[in-house]
Amino acid sequence: MFLAIKEIRKEKLRSSLIVAMIVLISYLIFILTSLALGLAQQNTDAIDSWHVKTVVLNANANVDMRQSLLTTDQVGALPKDAAVVGQASVAVKAKGHEQVSATFLGLKASQFIAKNLTVTSGRKPTKASEVLADDSLKLKGYKLGSTITLNGLAKHYTIVGFTSGAKMNIAPVLYGTMSAWQTLKGGMPNLTASAVVAQSATFKLGTSGTKAYSTAAFIQKLPGYSAQNMTFELMIGFLMVISLIIIAVFMYILTMQKLPNYAVLRVQGVPSRVLVQATLAQSLLLVAAGLVGGTVLLVLTAVAMPAVVPMAFSVPLLSAVGVGLLAMGLIGGLIPVRRVVKVDPLTVIGG
Amino acid sequence: MPALAVEQVNQIFGQGTARVQVLHDVNFAAEAGQLTLIVGPSGSGKTTLLTIAGGLLTPTSGQVQVAGESYQQRSPKEKEQLRLNQIGFVLQAYHLLPYLTVADQFKLVDRIRPQGNLAPAALTQLLTELGIAELLNKFPNELSGGQQQRVAIARALYPDPEIVLADEPTAALDRPRVQVVGQMLHDLAHNRKKAIVVVTHDERLLGFADAVYKMEDGRLTQTK
Ligand SMILES: Nc1ncnc2c1ncn2[C@@H]1O[C@H](COP(=O)(O)OP(=O)(O)O)[C@@H](O)[C@H]1O
Ligand SMILES: [Mg+2]
Repeated sequence: MFLAIKEIRKEKLRSSLIVAMIVLISYLIFILTSLALGLAQQNTDAIDSWHVKTVVLNANANVDMRQSLLTTDQVGALPKDAAVVGQASVAVKAKGHEQVSATFLGLKASQFIAKNLTVTSGRKPTKASEVLADDSLKLKGYKLGSTITLNGLAKHYTIVGFTSGAKMNIAPVLYGTMSAWQTLKGGMPNLTASAVVAQSATFKLGTSGTKAYSTAAFIQKLPGYSAQNMTFELMIGFLMVISLIIIAVFMYILTMQKLPNYAVLRVQGVPSRVLVQATLAQSLLLVAAGLVGGTVLLVLTAVAMPAVVPMAFSVPLLSAVGVGLLAMGLIGGLIPVRRVVKVDPLTVIGG
Repeated sequence: MPALAVEQVNQIFGQGTARVQVLHDVNFAAEAGQLTLIVGPSGSGKTTLLTIAGGLLTPTSGQVQVAGESYQQRSPKEKEQLRLNQIGFVLQAYHLLPYLTVADQFKLVDRIRPQGNLAPAALTQLLTELGIAELLNKFPNELSGGQQQRVAIARALYPDPEIVLADEPTAALDRPRVQVVGQMLHDLAHNRKKAIVVVTHDERLLGFADAVYKMEDGRLTQTK
């Protein structure tokens, strides 16, 4: 630690260049992580808020609630911990406001999802012409009492309440009644729901043409969800590897330059353990300093960022990323260690 | 009993046609309180002898004894301890750590070897003796060659070793400086009761030595 700190303080330019690079890389990784999490949550926020373990869909719907329709016969009578959901993709329009794509979710007021919904302002819908909208619609100028049309149809709906964290398929959710959903679907009388969700992990309808999926499996199949997550994971993984290589290259060069000095210390009886510790400490200190810088930038970004940017900041997740970068620093610092251990004191004697 | 004794040492490098015998039946002893000089032309085997005496190289045959104890059969770790505790090295190129101030060069020793180093007052006295007491906050690149070398000497003496081995300490110095360094090494040996061994091709140091050996083609003879 002593040697590492002294060297960093003496070689200010060098050290700050490395730190600056790690600041930028860690900032980029933090931002990508937050963006990945934010987008993932915009897919799943609504489902997550229901705390369900099972989703039952039409067996031929390709695990996609948008394609799934269940008939009255298929659904039958439901236990208390199960609820029907009717999904419809809608374009929301109101006079003087920009059009918004949203996911309409019809609920039964008597079932647990509707009962458990938390309302941030206003109230829950009680009539087919009322909807509860995600908070994000406020950013687009919609207010309590705003009158909207869906998909350009003649029927008017009123926003009677707002709720938070209601997102599905990266679109805000409008919660309404099942009869409103049936109207949106063209009023086919035999259709009861798009899906049945249940809090029990073992729930199934058991009727023909229906299939139960775990919520996790259902989420993985959300359109674009896993592809998007994999893209981010790939980018973050690559950035980790890039940071590893950068750290390793820098540490290697810095250490190579010091080998004659280390050889002298070996002549003087300094154990190689001390020199290895100095190398690793230097690498870790530089990465840690970079992480601090990256975190400061991230906090500034989080404060300055407009609410529409879909970023979510999870301290545990970002800490894990930070620990990952520190691990890269450790591995990067280990690469020149072999040379440090092998340094031959005889090389600096005589000449 | 001499502080350092080398007995019947032979050193052979290489094999077959590349085989060279660098040292032939070398014997010498360095006493505490004396400056011992080993002079000889370049390539005669002086540095090789010094590395053997310092426990950095195990000779092909023969013995090295420090304070009457043979170190030949000891482990690398024990030889490392020997160099850390009992032998100070002054190398040809001074090789101070470039990112440590003069004061920190000594602090580094404290960290590795928390006990047995010179007390602060004794260090100040040594630095004053060597004329470098004002340089404590300087980095090596802010010092002249002669100043760096004196710091290296102080660094070698700081753990208070019984033996100091110096390889060509005057290689880069002009005549007046050589006289100063010669006198300094002589005084350090006498005042501090150290066995100081200097290997050099610089005959200008001869006048300061208590004992002198000549190295010629790997054979060592005492001349004083
Ligand atoms: N590791 C080695 N392998 C082969 N030859 C060596 C090695 N080390 C030194 N020598 C040879 O031993 C001789 C003496 O070298 P050295 O001890 O450095 O002499 P000096 O210090 O007196 O100039 C030289 O000829 C040198 O080339
Ligand atoms: Mg030599």
